[in-house]
Amino acid sequence: MGPTLNNVLKFTDLPRMVASRWGDSLEIKIDQERQLIQITCDPEVLQDLCQWLFYRQGYSLATLIAEEAPPEWVMRYILYGDTGNGQVHVLTRFPLSRTKVPSISPAIHAADWQEREIEDLFGLSFEGHPKLGDFILHEDWPEGASPMRTAFDASRLHPRQESGPPWRPEMIVKTPGAFMMPVGPVYSDTAESAHFLLETVGEDVVRTIPKFFYKYRGVEKIAEGMPADHALLLAERFSGSSAFAHSLAFCQALEAICKIQAPPRARALRVLLAEMERLRHHTAAVAGICSSTALAVAASQTSIIEEDLLRLTCRLAGHRYFFGLNTPGGLARDLPDGECKKASEAAWIVLDKLKELHEMLRFTSSFLDRLEEVGSVSRKKAVAYGLVGPVARASGVSRDLRVAQPYAGYGQQTKFQVPREAEGDGYARLRVLFAEAEQSVNLIHQVASTLPAGPVRTAAAPTEGCALGWAEAPRGAAFHWLRTDGSGNIRRYRVMPPSFVNWHGFHLAAEEFAFQDFPIIMATFGLSNAECDR
Amino acid sequence: MTETGSLLLTFFIVCGLGVFTGGLPGNEKHAACVSIIGSVASLALLTASGIVLLSGRAFSMALWALPLFGKMMLGMDRMSALFLFITGMVFLPVSIFSAGYLKRYTGRYSLKSFAVFYFLLFASIALTLMAMDVLSFVIGWEAMSLLGYLLVNYEHEQADTTRSGMVMLLMSEAGTLAVILAFVILARTTGDMGFASLRAGAVHLGAVAGWFVFLLSFFGFGVKAGLVPVNSWLPMAHPVAPGNVSAILSGVILNLGIYGIVRINADILPIAGTGQGLVVLLIGTLSALVGILYATPEDDMKKMLAHSSIENMGIVTAGLGAGFVFLTSGHPVPAGLAFIAALYHMTNHSLYKALLFLGAGSVDMQVGSRHMQGLGGLIRRMPWTALFFLVGALSIAALPPFNGFVSEWLTLQTLLQCAVLPSKAVKITFALCGAGLALTAALAVTCFVKAFAMNFLGKERSEKAAKAAEAAPSMTISMGILAVACFLFGILPTYVIPAMDRVVQPYVHVSAVDQLVPPFFTVGRGNDKFDRTFVADFHKLGAQVGSRVLPGRGLVIMHRGGKRNPVIFAMSPAYTVAVLLLLLGGTFLIIRLLTRRRSLTHGPAWSGGLGRLPPEMTYSATGFSNPVRVIFRGIFRPVTVRDARETVANHFRSAIRKDQLEIHMIDRLFGKPIVHYGRRLAERLGRMHSGRVNAYAAYVLAALLAVLLIQGLA
Amino acid sequence: MLKWVRKGLRAGIKTTGYPHTRESAPGISPGRPAAMLCDGPQEAGAVAGRCPTGALSNQGNMIRVDHRRCVHCGRCRQDHEHAMAWEGGYEWAGGRKAPGEMAAAFSRSLHIRILDAGACGACLSEIKQISSPYYNIHRLGFFITPTPRTADVLLVAGPLTDPMRLPLERCYAAMPDPKRVVAVGACAVSGGIFGPSFAAAAGISQCVPVDIEIPGCPPPPLALLHALLMVAGKTKQT
Ligand code: SF4
Repeated sequence: MGPTLNNVLKFTDLPRMVASRWGDSLEIKIDQERQLIQITCDPEVLQDLCQWLFYRQGYSLATLIAEEAPPEWVMRYILYGDTGNGQVHVLTRFPLSRTKVPSISPAIHAADWQEREIEDLFGLSFEGHPKLGDFILHEDWPEGASPMRTAFDASRLHPRQESGPPWRPEMIVKTPGAFMMPVGPVYSDTAESAHFLLETVGEDVVRTIPKFFYKYRGVEKIAEGMPADHALLLAERFSGSSAFAHSLAFCQALEAICKIQAPPRARALRVLLAEMERLRHHTAAVAGICSSTALAVAASQTSIIEEDLLRLTCRLAGHRYFFGLNTPGGLARDLPDGECKKASEAAWIVLDKLKELHEMLRFTSSFLDRLEEVGSVSRKKAVAYGLVGPVARASGVSRDLRVAQPYAGYGQQTKFQVPREAEGDGYARLRVLFAEAEQSVNLIHQVASTLPAGPVRTAAAPTEGCALGWAEAPRGAAFHWLRTDGSGNIRRYRVMPPSFVNWHGFHLAAEEFAFQDFPIIMATFGLSNAECDR
Repeated sequence: MTETGSLLLTFFIVCGLGVFTGGLPGNEKHAACVSIIGSVASLALLTASGIVLLSGRAFSMALWALPLFGKMMLGMDRMSALFLFITGMVFLPVSIFSAGYLKRYTGRYSLKSFAVFYFLLFASIALTLMAMDVLSFVIGWEAMSLLGYLLVNYEHEQADTTRSGMVMLLMSEAGTLAVILAFVILARTTGDMGFASLRAGAVHLGAVAGWFVFLLSFFGFGVKAGLVPVNSWLPMAHPVAPGNVSAILSGVILNLGIYGIVRINADILPIAGTGQGLVVLLIGTLSALVGILYATPEDDMKKMLAHSSIENMGIVTAGLGAGFVFLTSGHPVPAGLAFIAALYHMTNHSLYKALLFLGAGSVDMQVGSRHMQGLGGLIRRMPWTALFFLVGALSIAALPPFNGFVSEWLTLQTLLQCAVLPSKAVKITFALCGAGLALTAALAVTCFVKAFAMNFLGKERSEKAAKAAEAAPSMTISMGILAVACFLFGILPTYVIPAMDRVVQPYVHVSAVDQLVPPFFTVGRGNDKFDRTFVADFHKLGAQVGSRVLPGRGLVIMHRGGKRNPVIFAMSPAYTVAVLLLLLGGTFLIIRLLTRRRSLTHGPAWSGGLGRLPPEMTYSATGFSNPVRVIFRGIFRPVTVRDARETVANHFRSAIRKDQLEIHMIDRLFGKPIVHYGRRLAERLGRMHSGRVNAYAAYVLAALLAVLLIQGLA
Repeated sequence: MLKWVRKGLRAGIKTTGYPHTRESAPGISPGRPAAMLCDGPQEAGAVAGRCPTGALSNQGNMIRVDHRRCVHCGRCRQDHEHAMAWEGGYEWAGGRKAPGEMAAAFSRSLHIRILDAGACGACLSEIKQISSPYYNIHRLGFFITPTPRTADVLLVAGPLTDPMRLPLERCYAAMPDPKRVVAVGACAVSGGIFGPSFAAAAGISQCVPVDIEIPGCPPPPLALLHALLMVAGKTKQT
């Protein structure tokens, strides 16, 4: 299904092939500098075109953006390819009065949740999508109110309907006697708020239905009209555990709009900080897996490492979670070379500890028994669902934005490997976490020892325009798309975090398992609801 | 004519009256008629049998003599009286119950025919139990079988009803045939068909013939009692039968099977070999296990109760079997105990099973469904039914202070007495059966916790359940009577056990109670077999505690009189109740005292912060019992007929279906092969139909020769 | 399993001495802006104006900090010439009730239920840390419990998104008296950068009565510890 060697295309061949297939029904623009092909097409060929790009040409779906641009709707489907294949933005337009859009989900399942999201928030309906309805907005949200429409007043609480129809999820398991075990939204000790319905006939869980967006803070909506650097606070704080990656993607989108580039030192430091964040996140994820299997000593030892890294970050960057560092045009503060060196040395020590831990875990059979062949996701499914990050890499899909679409200081200067496993089970995901942590320490070391001198910030003047920013967040590919007006205020903001994409595929792993494995499957996915819900 | 006789005459006349009024035109008053006349008949029967049971004055009456069959005799010894008494105890509340219950059939089915069948059935059961000769017995038996079939088949417009009825009739007829054959063998040595002369003649019967009689009669009566492997009709008949008929079927008709086994194997031709006793014990244990295993995961309430009847009949039979083994190995005292336990359990089963069937019938009538999947939360709608059903469930789950506990405890204790038996193999068999029965008891708790919880607790799982109303007073009152009986039989075993002891005394020739129980056990009856110091020891154990306060001394003590370890077992349900009440009251008081100064707040159940918990999110009956299904997968052997994962557009999962087919273990092991070979045989025989006359003549000749040969050999 | 025991023993004791001794390891807290005197009202106004959340206000030369609104963005100290004063420390929790009201409700241990009312993950991560070896709340008799039925303290993080309103109410109602609510982080205290809006409230006090507030974005683990000690009556209120 994925790209094979002979159909990997050079970026330059694509427009010709598209033109020869669909001819003059579409309009193609090429932006060589940004490696971007923009195709405007009729809604009718949309599904065909996207399917061809996704399955035949091996492009991945980044995000889907609906934009209300009177007098018309602009739907933007952003796809990205591997190294050298650039990005394809497929645009389609239709009048505002029309509320039906052809769905691409029957062809590209990865678009399923994104279309449901747009349906819920914009009131557009996707023809051919088999499953629409309450998604982001829960059952007490009044029908017909679409918060993402420009006319919607986002500043005040919207009145809820008092007694909505009782929420009755459709049961997929049709065996007589099946019932749903509800988990959440408030459950476990420190779990994030989310609701799961485990469909079961008694002993084993047959299937899991997640219900999310309890934490929907409407980030995309409340950003509208904000000055860009204020919206940056939202980008940074909607998911505190991967704040640096998201603020980085946001800043890079702004920088692309303003057509500036961060200075080399800032780009290098961004790599260093992003990798420190990844290292910390993966350590925390390993701690989570250990505690989900009730391996207390390993869990507490790992959380000691996590706290060490938090303290290290605070010493280096002034904040335990990298808040306030990224700024459009570079970094808010310079970090002294010496501190970076120290941080890199500390990272080596952390790596040693992690390696020792991994070695011990590898020989703890009671631990492995609970991870192996638990929560498996096949490569085929991972591709179809467009999974990203460590979860996808554990299922043999190794696309990584740092390599596929190099940004900041990634690219020629830095060398690292993207780990990949084939089994797709819980243990494979754990191994990927360890391997990525090792690569991160490697990168930190490379950057810290070759830090270029110079300023860390380029001034940015407010400009009108739109652009996509991206970063490989600890949990996978993150995309931030921005449209600004002339005074630098945000007109439309779109965030596609990795947790959203991977939660979509979570049910693949949470099928046919014993009830007590549920927390383990959750932990090996290591996802965040804050990041998903936005 | 004795008073018993006149009472019995009254009974038959009242039954006749019932049949007569049933035949009257009009359809409105029949429910009330059934109720009132049935109650009167039951009371007459209860008094008549009660007198015999207590006084021991046997009653007998010759009807008329027939050529070839001898005299037809009716009579009542204590054994018959016990069974008649139970019959009356079940028929009384069931008759009252019918007043409300039969209303559901008004306009749909003829109440007239119900009334006629009902009273005829009642009379035929009494006749069967009182028959003292083969002919009356067989007439009563056949009438009872046919009428039972007709009543089960009452809702004849439903297709599966008719089919279930046919299976019931077929198996019952096969049983009757076997019983008749057994009688024929027995009667070979005597000219007379009276039970008394059969008993006298049985002494001359050879061992092989004895085995034949045993096997044939055990098979025949086993069918009626619902023992494996001839139990298939029970779970088919119950769900289609009306609720009140189910109660009679389980509470009375199954007992007739036990009656037959006791009458033949203990009375007419006492079992002679340990082997036969072991067969009874093993079949009983197996029935108990198979019954409860299939009851636990069952979703249909009445089917579940039917399977559980198989279980209980199994326990009774196991008790009988143990008794036979003890008796044949020369230990009449434990044998007596075992019979007491078995009969006690049978009595209890009649009470609580009738109660549960009436409860299920009420729920079925008020909600319109017997499937636990769609019930739930009924305790709020039907509080009385819920309370009485709970009593029934606790009784059948053998929890004190209710009756099931006493008899199951006695049965298990008796099995533990196998230490006295000489053979190692027999001891091991006893131990295994004991373990099997213990497992049965544990599963029964699971089964009835589920039954009560899924019906009455939690959320309503269907619209109908949410709108149900309490059953009519006549229905709740009748359940109340049974519930009180369950409680009384639970706390007053010291009255029941001696009564049972006297029932079994003629067959074991000793009184187990007199042998085992210190004199204070039976109220007001001296026994100076034991010296004073020995009795004083028991006083220290608390045997006399509360003798003034509690109705009868509640302590059940059995002992063997050994110096070092005199007590075999001791237990007191009456004291347990007292202690339980004290504990509950005490706890309540302590909590009140402790929390006097604290405020008590009531909040909704914590559901993870969810607003509304729809019924789909509560535990289902299937879910509750699924662990049992999983653990015993090897027995249930489910066959997956469909395992489909349906998707739309490749990835949108739209349905997961897993349908499994389960064939009852007994049908799988016995039914299927029999049908298979039966067919094969029929095909073979079919080939013999050549159509030529001389071929048929040859067959007749060969058959004749074979008969003569057998006769000559015998 | 033995090897894990050995590893645990080898790692030694990492736990902080707080509250008996002051913890001063580097990196335990990001610190926060402190009230400051400027050279002139103009300049003070300019510094205060840099704050995106309106946490800073000036009266003449004096800049005051409303810590309840500060999200630790660091912008007020970015400009080196007129940087805001910055203080270390972590004892940030403050009561919303009079000190007398709080005391003596709990004498020994505390059971804590954590509720995520739309938190970003940083607060939750810091909350997770309090039961890890470095901070180890168990030594103080504090325990995290999965059910509100046995909880004394409700620790809430996040601005209170709308769908979490009902669960929060339910959770609070399910707790037995006496009970305390602690708002964790700028979002829970004041709505932070998210509320009030169509999707989130301006902090959890709009739904349940808050007893103690911990400002900070996120408040470090020791600030959480400080708040819990306050609930237990083991520290003086600030
Ligand atoms: S750190 Fe940021 S939010 Fe806090 S006072 Fe300074 S500018 Fe305001």
